[in-house]
Parts: sequence; C-alpha cells; structure tokens
Amino acid sequence: MMDKNLRRIVTESSFDFETIREDEGYLHVRVPHGNAVEMLLSAKQRFGMETLQLISVVDRIEDGTFQLTWILCDPGGTSIFMISADYPRENCSVPTLGDIWPTAVVFERELHEMYGIDFPGNPRQNEDFLLEDWRELPPMRRDFDTLSYSLRTFGERRKRTHTDPREYIADSVDEWDTPVPMKDEDR
Amino acid sequence: MYCNKLPDKPDDRKKIWDKVDNMARANSLWVTAYGTGCGAIELRPLHTSRFDMERFGIAMRPTPRQADVLIISGYLAVKTLKRVIRVYEQIQDPKYILALGSCTINGGMYYDSYNTLNILDRYLPVDVYVNGCMPRPEAIIDGFSLLMSKIKAGKADGWKHYVDNLEYYRENQKKVIHNWDLPDYNW
Repeated sequence: MMDKNLRRIVTESSFDFETIREDEGYLHVRVPHGNAVEMLLSAKQRFGMETLQLISVVDRIEDGTFQLTWILCDPGGTSIFMISADYPRENCSVPTLGDIWPTAVVFERELHEMYGIDFPGNPRQNEDFLLEDWRELPPMRRDFDTLSYSLRTFGERRKRTHTDPREYIADSVDEWDTPVPMKDEDR
Repeated sequence: MYCNKLPDKPDDRKKIWDKVDNMARANSLWVTAYGTGCGAIELRPLHTSRFDMERFGIAMRPTPRQADVLIISGYLAVKTLKRVIRVYEQIQDPKYILALGSCTINGGMYYDSYNTLNILDRYLPVDVYVNGCMPRPEAIIDGFSLLMSKIKAGKADGWKHYVDNLEYYRENQKKVIHNWDLPDYNW
C-alpha cells in the first residue's frame, strides 16, 4: 500500500518526527518547527507528495503557539501526508513555500490576514485577501474579541424593555413612518 | 464621469401628479438583480411559477439604472456595503430599499461578527424590513405588498430622506469604510 511505503520512506529518512496519527493512506506527523520546510521539500521531492492541498492553522493561545499543518497528497490522490509544526505565537514568522508550490502564496496571504503570521519571501502577502483596509488585530486570532469589536463598531439596536405585548406594540416603531436618523445613544 | 452635486429636489408643483405616478410605480417594481447574502437564495423561488412575482409587476433588472428597488438580502459585510452604496445611489429616483432577514435588523446570528453590520438603517434608508432567517418567499411577497401600499400612500420616501440627511448617512458609512475611495456623489 501507498501509506506503508510512505511510512517506510519517512522512517528511513533522517528526520526527527513524532507520529500523531496513522491510517490507511494517511500519515500525520509533527516535526520541530526548524525542520518543517526541509521535511516539506523532501516530501515533494522524495516521497512523491506533489500537491499542496491546504495550509491550516490552530491558534493554541494556552501554549503560546500557532500549530501550522500542511496537507499534502500524491498525484493519484490515494494518500494524504500531513505535517504539523508549532511556531511561537508572538511575531510568528514562517518561511514561504511559494517557490515550491505556487498555491501556497494564496493560502499564506489568507493566514497573514486572518492570523497575522508573517511569511517572509511571499511577494503578495500584503495584498488584501478578504478584508479591506483592516486596522485591528487580525480577526481570527483568539485574543481578538469579536463581540466587543462588533458592538463598538457597528452598535447594537435598542432591545425591547418590557415583555407585555400590548405595551410593546404600542411602543414599537410604526412601519409606515419615514426612517428617522437617531443618535447612537438613543438606540 | 461622476456627478458633482446632489440630485434635484422633487418639484412641489408636480405633487398633484404624484398620486397617479405612485400608482404606476407601485405596480411595476423593478428590482436590481443583486444579492448580498444568503437571502438571495429565497429570491429565486419568487421567479418560479409557484410564487411568480411577475403577477405583481415585480421583475428583475440587470442594472441599477433600470431598477426601482434594491433588496438587501441578508447579512451585509462592510466590503459589500461599499458596493451597495454605489449601486443604491445609481438607481434613478424614486427608489426603495427592501431589507430581508434578521441580519439587516439587528445582526441576527452574525451579531458578534467582525465584518457584518448590525443596524442597516444607519447606513441606508430602509423602507420595508422583512424579518426571518431567512424569510420565506411568502414573507417577501408580503413585504412587497407592504411596500406597494406605502408607495401608493406616498409614504415610501426613504430616497428623499437619504438626500436630505446625506451627511448623517455618510458619516456612519465612513465610520466603517475606512478606505473611502468612492466619489462624493454617485448619482
């Protein structure tokens, strides 16, 4: 089977790694972050994992790390090889893989925008991906408080203050009224 | 080529014709074919024989210049708001906004999202809100019939309100759209 073959090749190579999960056609390993790029390079060149499917990130704020996972597969799509590495969360910097897999440029742009991870060498990382002109902490980081940002920026509609339907209906806005601009404090 | 001034105020001397005009306007509502969120899915059944919105004189138009109604169908992201402002201001007067879904009313299930507006009428004048998540086609038709009666009664004047209070709306719009690269007037 492809995965046994892959397992053997990976074990025979001189890399320092720890297996997280292993299944038929599936191998997930964790490597020290210094070795990640080397491992990815040889995954492409020696293990035949030619396609980069995705780069994903888990924000492990308790450990102070970002866990990056590169998901690779072989051209036939029969086996999946996943490589994880923990990078320090503060000023996180990860070497770009854009010159190995051109798709990585797009994934890295997204991670740069959503998590603030720096990919030195990525030519397009400062272009907007989904957000336009974002000025706060990157929104997918777990230390970014979305609720307070939303209330601060977009406000909150005045909620109903009583539960008796008669009072509420009498107090509610007439749907035939012209919209009237209200000050924020009245809302 | 952009306008450098606000549109002319409606001529008061023609008020007497407004009743006749409004009757015609109410019975031929042409909608800009523009969907902003998941609510656009519920607009599709309206075209079909089961709900058939053309029996009310409601039709889809490909450009804002040919339309009277803009439907804000569901959640509105900050990035989309910029395009919606441009589309709305290009629609010829008189123009109406129908807002669908709880997202436009108070943020709905996206109340704590970092990029979804919570209160739509701070940014655009809404004539009719249809609540629900998402509103069924019957509810949308009900919203349209309310809009029609408002137009016939001469009370659907959100577009006049928008021009009169443009400063208020612009201030709110610019609060969330930091990179304001639109012209001052899009009419």
